[in-house]
Amino acid sequence: MSEQRTVTITVDGREIEAVEGEMLHDAARKGDVEIPVFCYEPKLGDPVGACRMCLVEIEGIPKLQTSCSTPVRDGMVVHTRTEQVKHAQSAVVEFLLVNHPLDCPVCDKGGECPLQDISMGWGPGRSRVIDEKRHFQKPVELSPLVAIDRERCILCYRCVRFSQEVSEDAQLQLLERGDRTFVGTFDDRPYVGPFHGNITDICPVGALTNYTYRFRARPWDIEQAGSVCTLCPSQCNVAFTIRDEKVKRVLARDNSEVDDGWLCDRGRYGFEMFEAEERVTEPRLKGGVKTDWQAAIARAAEGLKAAGAGKVAALVGDASNEEGLLVQRLLREALDSPHIDSRRSGGAGRETIVALSQPSLTAKVRDIDGADAILVLGTDPLHSSPILDLRVRKAIRRNGAKLVVATERPTALDGGAEAIARYAPGEAAHFVGELTKALGGEETVATPLAETLKDAGKVVVLWGERIAGAAQGALLGLADALKVGETEGAGLLEIPDFANARGLREAGCLPDAGPGLSEVAAGKSAEEIRAALEAKEIEGLVLVGVDPLRDFPDTPAWTEALNAAKFIVAFSTFETATAAKADVLFPLETHAEKDGTVTHPDGRLQRVRPSAERPGDIRPGYLALSEIAEALGLETGVYSQPTAFAALTAAVPFYGAISDEMIGGQGVRWQETEAAAKAPTAGAGGTASSDALSRRVSAETAPPALSGTEGSGLLLGTYRDLWAGPITELNPPLKFLQPQQRLEISLADAEGLGLASGDTVRVGQNGSSVEAEVLVKERVPEGVCFLAEGVAPGNANALLNGGPVRVEIEKLSEVSA
Amino acid sequence: MADPRETRVLLDKAEDPALATLEGYKRLVGGYATLEKAYRSMEQDEILKELEDSGLRGRGGAGFSMGKKASFLPRGEMQKYLCCNADESEPGAFKDRELMQRNPHQLIEGITIAALAADAGHAFIFIRGEYDAQADILDRAVAEAYEAGYLGKNILGTHRDLELVVHRGAGAYICGEETALLDALEGKRGNPRLKPPFPAVQGLYGGPTLINNVETLSNVPRIVANGAEWFRQFGTEQSPGTKVVSISGAVRRPGNYEISLGMPLRELIYGLAGGPEAGHEVKAFYPGGSSSPVLTPAELDLPYSFEAMAEAGSMLGSGSIIVADDRVSIPHMALRTARFYHHESCGKCTPCREGTNWTVKMLERVIRGEATPMDLDIISSVQQNIMGHCLCVLGDSMAMPVSAMVNKFRDEFEEVIANAGASLGEEELLPILQGAPA
Repeated sequence: MSEQRTVTITVDGREIEAVEGEMLHDAARKGDVEIPVFCYEPKLGDPVGACRMCLVEIEGIPKLQTSCSTPVRDGMVVHTRTEQVKHAQSAVVEFLLVNHPLDCPVCDKGGECPLQDISMGWGPGRSRVIDEKRHFQKPVELSPLVAIDRERCILCYRCVRFSQEVSEDAQLQLLERGDRTFVGTFDDRPYVGPFHGNITDICPVGALTNYTYRFRARPWDIEQAGSVCTLCPSQCNVAFTIRDEKVKRVLARDNSEVDDGWLCDRGRYGFEMFEAEERVTEPRLKGGVKTDWQAAIARAAEGLKAAGAGKVAALVGDASNEEGLLVQRLLREALDSPHIDSRRSGGAGRETIVALSQPSLTAKVRDIDGADAILVLGTDPLHSSPILDLRVRKAIRRNGAKLVVATERPTALDGGAEAIARYAPGEAAHFVGELTKALGGEETVATPLAETLKDAGKVVVLWGERIAGAAQGALLGLADALKVGETEGAGLLEIPDFANARGLREAGCLPDAGPGLSEVAAGKSAEEIRAALEAKEIEGLVLVGVDPLRDFPDTPAWTEALNAAKFIVAFSTFETATAAKADVLFPLETHAEKDGTVTHPDGRLQRVRPSAERPGDIRPGYLALSEIAEALGLETGVYSQPTAFAALTAAVPFYGAISDEMIGGQGVRWQETEAAAKAPTAGAGGTASSDALSRRVSAETAPPALSGTEGSGLLLGTYRDLWAGPITELNPPLKFLQPQQRLEISLADAEGLGLASGDTVRVGQNGSSVEAEVLVKERVPEGVCFLAEGVAPGNANALLNGGPVRVEIEKLSEVSA
Repeated sequence: MADPRETRVLLDKAEDPALATLEGYKRLVGGYATLEKAYRSMEQDEILKELEDSGLRGRGGAGFSMGKKASFLPRGEMQKYLCCNADESEPGAFKDRELMQRNPHQLIEGITIAALAADAGHAFIFIRGEYDAQADILDRAVAEAYEAGYLGKNILGTHRDLELVVHRGAGAYICGEETALLDALEGKRGNPRLKPPFPAVQGLYGGPTLINNVETLSNVPRIVANGAEWFRQFGTEQSPGTKVVSISGAVRRPGNYEISLGMPLRELIYGLAGGPEAGHEVKAFYPGGSSSPVLTPAELDLPYSFEAMAEAGSMLGSGSIIVADDRVSIPHMALRTARFYHHESCGKCTPCREGTNWTVKMLERVIRGEATPMDLDIISSVQQNIMGHCLCVLGDSMAMPVSAMVNKFRDEFEEVIANAGASLGEEELLPILQGAPA
């Protein structure tokens, strides 16, 4: 990227410093000169200059120019309030209102409508139009979630550009021509896409409204509360629209370091589950008996104590950093038990984690924008961290980044990839090793990928936690081969399974690492905890925001393990099969209610702020954990969010320089604070360089290919579907998206097994089986099939057992022709 | 037969059907000799200089110097394109149709030489879908030219390549706008793009692109063959060359006439085209297609040149004169004009989309008598609000003539308002009302 030059321009008599080449509209705003716009939205790509609202006078140019599309030059003199400009802008407002119904009193946008604001500020103030306006049927369903009122539409076509240039689904189109133009889809089909709600945010009029918000509130009834969505690791910044202490709407809150101002439909429409019947709203004892907090805490403390020192384990999932810190203190300090994990499918030891978390190896989200090449490895961002899917598309579309995909299952990003590799389930580590070798010049299966990646310059690797168990060490070798450590703007970015995975690990929720990834006496990992429960070596279990019976591999074994546990304390947002096994069940807050910090996979600490009232008798999780610890004789000093946060920054050395003010509304990456140097370095005693370590680790962990021919049946790969779980099961607006179990199978295998799309089959492995509908997919490799995790019924976790498994497929019924 | 007052250069020998064949083109007018000369012995800069010195102005409407435009293309190794705009859609214009129909090889030769000047390796002729017969003729001619080695790889053994594709449009007026043409050619919805970047810098598929009208490119072979000085012997200082003028409307001999620019309008309209039928006089005329502000008989003695038309507050545009005689109702002509642009507005930018629609509604009210003179002020003001505020010139194309008509014939508009219904027969009123949007 070329150096940015600062230039000075004059707008309405005031001098403004601007970056050369930036659009005049943006530069003027820095000088507090507002130029009205409708179509201009830099997030959507290049300006289109369609609405003509931002016409201004530039000295030396006879015609008025659109400020949205005029790059600034040094010495430019601009006038935005001359008679000529006022006349033009007022004319454009008048034109926009020629066909606009002006039904503001019954329009949801009324009061927060750019068209209203600009009409008031720049319009003529009275209408000369007495002719009939255009009419459409209204409102009509653009999708089950979004209503479109085509009479209100001013055809800025922001929504169409979003569909075509941001989410790239190309479903929205401008149909017809001239003043008959309208926004629609081919053949009036519903607009379906995981990001489509964004069009309601960017619509500058009341043409696109959410069914979940229509007629629910007016702007003077509501408050906006800024927070962070923790439904996935993207941790997008959101603003909750609150009326009567309840969430009525979720809006994107632009943070270019995190979400680029977009929000997926999970985050946007997932809020109605906060009010679900299944919500746990007070402490309960076994059998669902409601109890009060004091009794619950006493019972929990008592039960855990009875399990015995060293014989309690904890699993942490959806929790804040503060909650994570307190769980591990409860375990390690109050119960003298080191068995704590925050990973569902294992992972490398502390040393590798420390090496991977070196600031020099970590990519930040913004690095994706400037990357020369992007490697998506063992994850499908669309399902696991949706907003990064858009970010990768943006990097390719706008900045010409080259994409390389290496996964088990076809991904949503395949279409834009220069090279794609499919490895068999369980082969991730081997593949990473082969890729590393290929980058070193050897001819391997990964050579086509290496061709694009080597000498690419800045490479960003997005890798999924699901390959961590086997391949985390190999990743260091890959990082070394790609020279990401030495390259500014390059790095690895993990897409973990849990939203706050990084924060929990750094808060000490790992079996062999304490707060700040410090060295501690090693405890058991999730997998070992399960075995130890079955073997009665561990008797007490604390579950915070995890649902092993839905989310962890090997459901039968986890059922055994939970049944074998003597005493379970669970913190859960909803009633789940796991929660039903708890002896004491505490409610968990949602991200609309919680107060605490989370850490983005790129190291950014963000604050989740309480926005809505907690239903029933819910109390903060950190308070409950602190009180249990105190009942067990451990004085935590945590009584409030500030004290909890202070405890966190005291315990995690590299969080030490971070204050609540620094986190502010946009968060702060710990790597960019002065305490970053306090991060542990790789190797014993913190002396070995990460380079040396990575070479060593890579040499160790490039396992040979698993023998692909062993056993019969197809190799099973699994993935977490974007829509699996409470988000669709307990959330009425998204219920229609609830995924059913589908067996994805290749053309050849389907033929071999006599299967066709739509057939019902039983997929079995070692006594367990699930039912699924067959979906023959061209891009599925031969010999492999895929099932989704977390869906009900038919959760694929029932078939997994820690390693690659082969499944037998039995046809139950054929699809009717 | 050519009228002796004409100066036939582009239409030389056009009456001979054999001219449309490669053999005829070579035999009758010495065709493709210039291509041989240019490809074998001329440098890019030489051709550019000749074109620039000739002062050839674009014949598509804007009248920009063709040589200058070609010189704007960046130099260097990259894919560059040449597009011939054959989407002649302006009401009143039909000169390109004749040029392509009668002498397709002249255009192809022009394209090959212009491609050399622009260093373009790919050329397209974007022809409006309605010109089906002409597209067929072009297809045949292009095939002949490929066959003869004037197109394709290694033209005349000079190691230069040029691919030429005839692309048929799907029939939207806006696709004649150069950037909309590019979008349509790329397979997108034909909407104008924001300028800058201009096509010369970033055009088709993002590459530098030279876009010229059929007539402009047809002029190229002779300019390069005979030199700039030869070309400048025709026309005026600022409007050199000959021009094929389409004259239609209330004249006795409508058709295309190739003249030396600067001929008095009276000679064009009354002389060549024969003027209105006996007993009738010219009331108004569009001097440069339906988008040009109308002129009145007072301006009939002006020379027909780019500069004189601009001075008179109108434009030469594509060189298409539509004549209205004293039997024509100007308000109806205004409505007809406005309806065309309303129908063809792409809808991308606000002033054009809403302005054309609003203007049509107001003019309909005028004609129905449901207006007051104040509405005429609003109509005028709306035209002012459109002009200069749009993304492309389509909005202005309606605003300019409508504005001129309302201003120059205001009495007639007021009369129509006052006598609506009375002055119109039922058969005239009905189509107007039926045509109105529901």
